[in-house]
Amino acid sequence: MLSPSLLALLLLPTTTFAFKANDFKTCSQSGFCRRGRALSARALAASSSWQSPYSIDPSSLLLDPHEASFTAAIKSSLYPSAKFELDVRVHDDGVIRVRMDEVDGLRKRYDEAASWALIREPRLSKSEDVKWTVGKDGVRAKYGDNNDIEVVVQYEPVKVTMFRHGVEQVVLNGRGLLHMEHFRTKEGSQPLEIEGAEGEGDAQTVFHVNNAAWFEGEEQDAWWEETFSSWTDSKPKGPESLSIDITFPTHQYVYGIPQHATNLSLPSTTGPSASYTDPYRLFNADVFEYLPDSPVSLYGSIPLMHAHGKEGTAAVFNAVGSDTWIDVEKKDKGTETHWVSESGILDVFILPGPNPTSVFSQYSRLTGTPSLPPSYSLAYHQCRWNYVSSDDVRGVQRRFDEEDMPVDVFWLDIEYSEGHKYFMWDNKTFPDPVEMIGDVEGKERKMVIIIDPHLKRESSYPIYKVASELGVLVKPKSGEGEYEGWCWPGSSSWIDFFNPDSWDMWIKFFKTKSLDGSWAWTQSSENVGIWNDMNEPSVFNGPEISMPRDNVHYGGWEHRDVHNINGMLFTNQTYNALYHRSDPPKRPFVLTRSFYAGSQRFGAMWTGDNLGSWEHMAVGVKMVIANGLGGMVFAGSDVGGFFGNADPEMLVRWYAVGAFSPFFRAHAHIDTKRREPYLLDEPYKGIVKDVLRLRYSMLPIWYSAFRESSLTGVPLLRPQYVMFPQDEEGFAIDDQFYVGSSGLLFKPVTTKGATSASVYLSDAQIYYDYFSHTAYPPPSAAPKSKAKANLEVNSGRRIQVPAALHELPLLIRGGSILPTRERPRRSSPLMKHDPFTLRIALDVDGGAKGEVYLDDGEGYGYEKGEIVWRGFEASTTARDGKKGEKVLKVWSEDLASTQAVPSYDSANPFAQSITDVRVERLVILGIGHKPASIELEGSRKTLEWEYEEGVGRESGKADGEGKKTGVLVIKDPAVGVASDWAIVVKF
Amino acid sequence: MIPWLLLALPLPALAALDKTHGVSPALQDKYIATTSGTWKCLDGSKEIAWSAVNDDYCDCADGSDEPGTSACPDTTFYCTNIGHIGTTIPSSRVNDGLCEPECCDGSDEAPGVCLNLCKQIGEVHRKKVEAELKLRKTGSKIRGTYIAFAHKEKKRLEGLIVNLEREVASREQEVERLRDIAERAESLSAAELERKKQSPLYQSLLSHHTALKSLRKEHKKHLEKEKVLGEILDSLRTGYNPNYQDMAVLEAVRGWESLAGLPHINDVRKGEDGGEEAQAETSKVEEQEEGIWNADQIEVELDRLLKADHVSLLLEHDNIVIRAPPQAILFDITAYLPDSLLPTYVTFRNSVLSWLHVFGIGAVVSDTSAESNRARQALTDAEHSLKLTREEQQTAREDLSDLYNPEGFGLEGEWKKLDGLCLEKNVGDYTYEVCLFEEARQKPNKGGSTFSLGKFTSWNQLAKPGELEYYSKQRYTQGAKCWNGPQRSVELILACGTENALLTVAELEKCEYQITGTTPALCRPLEDENEKVEL
Repeated sequence: MLSPSLLALLLLPTTTFAFKANDFKTCSQSGFCRRGRALSARALAASSSWQSPYSIDPSSLLLDPHEASFTAAIKSSLYPSAKFELDVRVHDDGVIRVRMDEVDGLRKRYDEAASWALIREPRLSKSEDVKWTVGKDGVRAKYGDNNDIEVVVQYEPVKVTMFRHGVEQVVLNGRGLLHMEHFRTKEGSQPLEIEGAEGEGDAQTVFHVNNAAWFEGEEQDAWWEETFSSWTDSKPKGPESLSIDITFPTHQYVYGIPQHATNLSLPSTTGPSASYTDPYRLFNADVFEYLPDSPVSLYGSIPLMHAHGKEGTAAVFNAVGSDTWIDVEKKDKGTETHWVSESGILDVFILPGPNPTSVFSQYSRLTGTPSLPPSYSLAYHQCRWNYVSSDDVRGVQRRFDEEDMPVDVFWLDIEYSEGHKYFMWDNKTFPDPVEMIGDVEGKERKMVIIIDPHLKRESSYPIYKVASELGVLVKPKSGEGEYEGWCWPGSSSWIDFFNPDSWDMWIKFFKTKSLDGSWAWTQSSENVGIWNDMNEPSVFNGPEISMPRDNVHYGGWEHRDVHNINGMLFTNQTYNALYHRSDPPKRPFVLTRSFYAGSQRFGAMWTGDNLGSWEHMAVGVKMVIANGLGGMVFAGSDVGGFFGNADPEMLVRWYAVGAFSPFFRAHAHIDTKRREPYLLDEPYKGIVKDVLRLRYSMLPIWYSAFRESSLTGVPLLRPQYVMFPQDEEGFAIDDQFYVGSSGLLFKPVTTKGATSASVYLSDAQIYYDYFSHTAYPPPSAAPKSKAKANLEVNSGRRIQVPAALHELPLLIRGGSILPTRERPRRSSPLMKHDPFTLRIALDVDGGAKGEVYLDDGEGYGYEKGEIVWRGFEASTTARDGKKGEKVLKVWSEDLASTQAVPSYDSANPFAQSITDVRVERLVILGIGHKPASIELEGSRKTLEWEYEEGVGRESGKADGEGKKTGVLVIKDPAVGVASDWAIVVKF
Repeated sequence: MIPWLLLALPLPALAALDKTHGVSPALQDKYIATTSGTWKCLDGSKEIAWSAVNDDYCDCADGSDEPGTSACPDTTFYCTNIGHIGTTIPSSRVNDGLCEPECCDGSDEAPGVCLNLCKQIGEVHRKKVEAELKLRKTGSKIRGTYIAFAHKEKKRLEGLIVNLEREVASREQEVERLRDIAERAESLSAAELERKKQSPLYQSLLSHHTALKSLRKEHKKHLEKEKVLGEILDSLRTGYNPNYQDMAVLEAVRGWESLAGLPHINDVRKGEDGGEEAQAETSKVEEQEEGIWNADQIEVELDRLLKADHVSLLLEHDNIVIRAPPQAILFDITAYLPDSLLPTYVTFRNSVLSWLHVFGIGAVVSDTSAESNRARQALTDAEHSLKLTREEQQTAREDLSDLYNPEGFGLEGEWKKLDGLCLEKNVGDYTYEVCLFEEARQKPNKGGSTFSLGKFTSWNQLAKPGELEYYSKQRYTQGAKCWNGPQRSVELILACGTENALLTVAELEKCEYQITGTTPALCRPLEDENEKVEL
């Protein structure tokens, strides 16, 4: 009997917004996923009697004499004639790479996924540093600090285990689910027909005939052909899927494998506590009106999973480019995962950790760090499908200026182009594109214009014509001619960016002047950023809104082999083309919807076509954090929701979410009402204006955080577990985050009618409200400095902060110094010479630290040391001689020098260009007493100041909670932001 | 503590800015130091050192201490612009590195950054103003002719109303007279008619009539639904949004195409201007079945049938059944004679008839019912004419009152001339047409159906009637509904120009069009410049 509410749900007619579940496969509709799940079900049923059929032939073991790697032959007891090879390597940073491929098979498995994801071939440890010990049961090696890491490769069945301090961290094939379906012929794979019909129902007989059935199952389930909806996949290579179980015996939390609209801490998909019925899926797809809580695959795929527990962090990167399903089951002490991919070799990287930061670093060394973007791209982007004419664009710019609302970028969606032939302006509506771009750039703003990967099949379209003549378009399953599908322009073909011949072509297209007579985008400028959409690829009339899997790419690989990588190659080449557009090069800005491991090197991503609902707003925050864990730190979701008309309250909250996303863009579907912020009524308009200005004032913080991320790979939005990896209370928290290492803690409000918000604080540190200066001291009296090591223990607490519509729950962690620029400007480059405010939030010991990173924001001078990187510090000490009286000192130092930035010279041209930029104000929080005097050290110059009374940093909870802290504002010390100085406050 | 090198290079605050830099003339006298060398924020909230004025640091809550810098947000900066016109800009544009075009004297940036262009800009500005004035002058002359037109129209309407009043009076008399006749004729025949009406044939006729009327109503409803459905499917076909990626939509489009005999939109787009339209046309010619009406015939015949006077039919039927000869016209003369002459006439007639009867010419068949019916018909006709005349009169009165209604054709009736004037703009795929004060339409240039973008609803509701701003916008609403969208509407933005023309068309939001254009009706004469329009 259905409950009435469920019944009502079922009876609901097609609502306006609905995920088209029928367009996409569930696991049970995907042959290899079905086979993978059946395999794991058989193993579960067989329990302890189950044993993996794969084993190493010890006699084949071949150790590399120079480097820490070995190869060995693997046999399958199911198919004695099939041959496999195992290749295990230990990188110089301790990462373990485990590869397995079929050798001498009928065909070759796709083995190039890692080559697209990795920045270079990783360096291996020397064999003398990591020594393999060959034993009777397996091979093992110990390495790392104090030899704390041990990797053990067991022979029979084959199993790879990584230990830290003797504790299992990561186990491959521990559950015996490894299965590499070897290539076979259709004829040779028919079961013998000895038993005939009378054998039916008699398991014994069948078992006898098909001795792989206990493992592979009785049926040849979707081996040779597969039909979904009206599409049939010809599967010319037959079954070739890959199954591997990866267990984290001591980690109860797993994160990553973006992109899914789900919690940061991934819920189970199988077992008694499963939250979803299907596994997480990685298959880049243009999912129309996706659900805000689902394991369904979305536009991008990063097969990287972090596993975390109180004792530490480890991760696996499974370099596979084909459709992949991942089951997760949380166990009492750890987490079991099962990965099933449609094709490709086994190529798993075990990242040993031991903490979140080291995992980021290990992953960045493999796939690269996010590239430092042009600074304007961290400011506010205004987009809509579509600004319909050049006058429309000018009008939107004028309205922003009339309201004195800052904006840096105006975007053009597909309707700028004539007949959706990208690069080709529609002359009726955009008769003067160069002048229009000039009008926008005249206010130091930029334009971003969309270029999609599908080309209208029209011989008069130069882009299509050139690509077609070069033969760089994706081919249909025959391997001949051009694949034709349906997308925005109608009948279209797709550039195959796996084909190197397309790369130079793409560079030429983006040139603003024609070289050698080839087509160039002369109706453009050297500052135009590019938006790459639909690169999953989205094909309207294709299976699962994408390409047929049997399409053929460069090198003869099937689309199924490279599907998840395809989107990254498009942005890779666009990034490359923009890099080569000007001389000297400017930093490209490219936005992508589809991505893969390594895409962080080529720009920003957004979470695709979300819906204007509170649920989507909330899950967008989690998705942006999760994408950051996978390297895609430059992420955001459409402010306001792509579909639907968000009401003013929702829009205001969404602007706050956007203002605290690395990528901050408002966008809207063509069917929605216009909702540029100046169209709002008061008080909404004023609030949004304040939010926009807040983002602009904090651009130095965002840029400095990005710079750090571009060096370390640590994401800009840091969830609780990354900040406090030992505080289990915070491991599942994904609705608040820290901004870089700035000390800013933001809790987005994603519910209707909220007036307050609950914020979790892990550490025994004082926090201050950014706006009201309310102090939130640690629970007990402030611990002394010596107790710092234990700050994280038992200090977790929840506080309520005001969060009415005009209030942002934004806290500063005690001990932070925030550099801001608080003069409103029309666009961020116009802030270049504006002075800084330093907001100093004293910690419980009266100290604080912060930094600012600056460069020209657009070129590559920073690679030559043309930067300003300053550290700011504050400390409180007893005043010499006099008991009880204290001195607070704040100073600035040249981090670029102390951190030895290569080729840095403090007199570099950029630093010279900002000698006039001063610190105009110091705002010091946590001062309990009125100061006696303040002076600039070394100059005897007395500074003007104002003190607003309030509680000090030392106040315990009893009298401090919810009270305003004392704020000292020091007026214009007239010191350069790029120079050394010190200010002394005496009490 | 780590030893560190102290290299404090105190920066001089901005090279001592003039204290009144950026102050508007009206506030100049407020920027004077007290004798003790202090200064009070304009809101009185704080007293600061005189040196803190324009020192590039915001001291006052109201931002008044920094008129010449960008230190205080949301304040204004005054550019003197000697040689041109002084103006204010937001403080966010001061010292941002961009030379504001509004500040031609370059005072918004540090000295040396911007050139003083006031002379040139002032010159250009004056030329522009002159050109604008010239345009307005020419335009206002044309507008004058519109006003004259309105004046003539007023005269014409007033004359018309007088005439119509006279006509109404005479028609009223006529109606009264005919009513009298009809009533008299009817009293003679009412009983007879009632009896005849009991004929089953007549009753059946009435039922048929009702049935026909109902069917027609139903049919019309269906036709309208079909038309709307057709429009929905047409716009689905041409405009369906492939982002919906819905094969069901594609199927629906294909189904419609085969039903409506249209080529597949894909092929149309591919071939662009291929000749499929003609092809579709030829296949439409259907063979006509004999004896069956086609749609147009049905329409005409149904109209006729439904308008038929059943009483007349009944009586004629009667006549035919009893094979009576047609009534002589003569007998009907009674209906047209004035009452005073009637008795004489009746005597005369009777004698003539009897005389005729002697010669075997006429037949004495008294058909009173037919007579009364015709009398009734004459009355109805006369009443109808009266109604039309009254309506005409009403319209003329309304037109007259609209003529100078500020919410209608303007204070001076200057818009009357443009009433119903259709302006067009071809933008490639479509031609947009606005018939002023009537309806806006979107007409496809490559075949397909024309959509109404709405009917005239109002002037600019955000301004007051009588203000120029009020007449600079017209709204046309309640146009054809968009598939998956609102009803189409237009905002027509007009400006003074020497021609009535549409300039641009933009669909800023789905199915909401913004059309710009010019009209001399908005060119108020220059003398109006300083006049306040009073209402």
